[in-house]
Amino acid sequence: MSGMKETAISEKPMDTGQPLLEIKNLKMHFPIQKGVFRRITDYVRAVDGASLAVKRGETFGLVGESGCGKTTLGRCIMRVYRPTAGQILYHEDGRTVDLCALNNEELKPYRRKIRMIFQDPHGSLNPRMTVLDIVGDALRVHGIASGTELEDRVSDLLRRVGLRSEYLRRYPHALSGGERQRIGIARALVLEPALVVCDEPVSALDVSVQAQTLNLLQDLQAEFGLTYLFVAHDLSVVEHLSDRTAVMYVGKLVEFADTKALYVNPRHPYTEALLSAVPIADPRMRERGGRIRLEGDVADPAHPPTGCYFHPRCRYARQRCLEEEPILRDLGGDHGVACHFSEEIELRGAVMVNG
Amino acid sequence: MNTQGPLLEVQDLQTHFSTDEGVVKAVDGVDFTIRQGETFCLVGESGCGKSVTAFSILQIVQDPGRIVRGSIHLRQDDGQTLDLAAMDPKGRALRRIRGRDIAMIFQEPMTSLSPVHTVGDQISETLRLHAPIDKLQAREQTMAILTRVGIPRPERHFHAYPFQLSGGMRQRVMIAMALICRPSLLIADEPTTALDVTMQAVILDLIKELQGEMGMSVMLITHNLGVVAEVADTVAVMYLGRIVESADVYSLFREPKHPYTTALLRSIPVIGLTKQERLATIRGMVPHPFNRPHGCTFHPRCDHFMPGVCNRSLPPITHLEGGRTVRCFLYGGADTREREER
Ligand SMILES: Nc1ncnc2c1ncn2[C@@H]1O[C@H](COP(=O)(O)OP(=O)(O)OP(=O)(O)O)[C@@H](O)[C@H]1O
Ligand SMILES: Nc1ncnc2c1ncn2[C@@H]1O[C@H](COP(=O)(O)OP(=O)(O)OP(=O)(O)O)[C@@H](O)[C@H]1O
Ligand code: SF4
Ligand SMILES: [Mg+2]
Ligand SMILES: [Mg+2]
Repeated sequence: MSGMKETAISEKPMDTGQPLLEIKNLKMHFPIQKGVFRRITDYVRAVDGASLAVKRGETFGLVGESGCGKTTLGRCIMRVYRPTAGQILYHEDGRTVDLCALNNEELKPYRRKIRMIFQDPHGSLNPRMTVLDIVGDALRVHGIASGTELEDRVSDLLRRVGLRSEYLRRYPHALSGGERQRIGIARALVLEPALVVCDEPVSALDVSVQAQTLNLLQDLQAEFGLTYLFVAHDLSVVEHLSDRTAVMYVGKLVEFADTKALYVNPRHPYTEALLSAVPIADPRMRERGGRIRLEGDVADPAHPPTGCYFHPRCRYARQRCLEEEPILRDLGGDHGVACHFSEEIELRGAVMVNG
Repeated sequence: MNTQGPLLEVQDLQTHFSTDEGVVKAVDGVDFTIRQGETFCLVGESGCGKSVTAFSILQIVQDPGRIVRGSIHLRQDDGQTLDLAAMDPKGRALRRIRGRDIAMIFQEPMTSLSPVHTVGDQISETLRLHAPIDKLQAREQTMAILTRVGIPRPERHFHAYPFQLSGGMRQRVMIAMALICRPSLLIADEPTTALDVTMQAVILDLIKELQGEMGMSVMLITHNLGVVAEVADTVAVMYLGRIVESADVYSLFREPKHPYTTALLRSIPVIGLTKQERLATIRGMVPHPFNRPHGCTFHPRCDHFMPGVCNRSLPPITHLEGGRTVRCFLYGGADTREREER
């Protein structure tokens, strides 16, 4: 990806492969309604001009404050929502379609190619369906398999996510949080999609099952050339898996780069704050200090601050940050940042644990 | 930590689910003690029974789950102890304890937030259920706690329905609801998993602050061993319905004893150690729920498996120095010749 300026994206092809998915200036605003007449009084700008490009076959990590719009972005790609503005371009066999412009019927083939592992495994599994039905449903709907073949495929997949076939006839309520999460993973993968939006896919798993699942995601990627948009709060998981990583803050991307570069050499103050707060699995490191406490209120996406949305909480903010909104610009080397003073400030990267 | 006497003592707790296919022994003989003011972390494989242990304490295990054995002693403010396991789950006494003495943050916030009530109403109702205050006061305190857990514009979000909030915001609403009655024990099941790391740090700080202010004990269930390392006093490691090891946090991370603990710690992804391509896992699968292995239930997956020993009988709890316990024949208890470690 060569910078986020719109012109740059359309003019310059990828140096390493064409993007599979390109999101341009995407906005998703939810109305806030009040009173008996449900009058619209305001809008929550859940996604507010986000742009990014995901290359074919890569894992693109997406991290950011909780409530910054990651899930909403994923749901827009899935077209669970109709975005307020912007484009979601899907490139395939030299053709490009804007998913935002398609109606339900036209979307059907893409619902098979683009799948999502939903963040809330509890809310997203139908309580009246068995595991077999939940995972196998898509195979049936798309006429791919039925009967024993369907059952075999489902139990094979369950085994790969570390669940025994004894679980086939269980209902979601009889499963632990992590077991449910793996059902969600199996459901997303069962159609052998091209792009998977993984929204916190391993957050409910213990580290050994998590490791097994992440290895599986990597294997499938190698085997089928899958592309992942990988959303997670666990920055070490994101680092392990992602080729490139982007950081979101209040509906926008504030930084993106090659994962290593982002972690070692962050250029946005919010990225620095995030990296400083990663807990370290060594109690002797407790008193290390250095965690950046973000002062001020969490931004409200219905009333974002002026200028740079991060300015009320930024340690490096100056007058210009209150007045002028920084655009996401390329610093070179596929490293983009939306901060006026990136070149002038010295930021700390992640604490590296080399054992 | 200035931890004091025991607040909660769980002994030989067993909670089983009888299903058509068989009995799931979700919790199968669990013992632990939580001292006043301490942070007790429960970790372990997904599905090993952590949440069911927590539900058992509050007697809110779902049907067909039943506590079939064991006791759960809670010390109250007046020094008296109550066995929660022996109380009527639907009775008044236990209902009073829930929310007031023991509050819980659930793993999946949507299961415990009502979809048809605003978050503000839900929190203030919880408060009014346990404290003799009027609506206005309840509202004020609700605003205050929402602010403290980092909900922006609490006056607006007071009127929001849960579906209008992001996953992390719902989680913070749950946390607010649990903390508002200032319980003596907070059971937090994956309280910060849905949050970004800066918010996670804020919440953990808040819990610590309240612990300092009112001597609250915390039972923290989490998969995030980074969080455990940062906040725990004591850690218990669970595998298939039993605690296989417990120790103070420093000892556990420095020198894990049980092979499962060792394997678990090896699987942690760490920043800076990446591109090692594969993460370490534990071979094999979690056993069949109705048909658990004989002897030590970890033996089919264990690197130190001793044939004829580990698969014969259940290893007993061995007490080691520093108050540590472990359930593994490497540390004694075998009915044949004992073996030294390594
Ligand atoms: N259906 C909706 N109606 C109104 N507001 C919504 C809706 N869905 C999301 N929002 C708001 O949009 C914002 C972004 O939410 P989203 O779930 O995308 O965040 P997120 O980045 O996924 O957060 P988390 O990390 O906590 O999951 C939040 O402020 C949320 O309250
Ligand atoms: N209603 C039920 N019927 C049958 N089995 C159940 C029921 N509820 C839970 N279980 C089983 O009990 C075991 C323990 O579940 P529990 O939710 O306590 O696991 P957990 O340790 O909290 O896991 P996680 O870390 O994934 O949340 C699981 O194997 C689960 O499948
Ligand atoms: S008892 Fe045996 S099988 Fe079980 S953990 Fe110890 S060494 Fe491994
Ligand atoms: Mg989300
Ligand atoms: Mg659980």
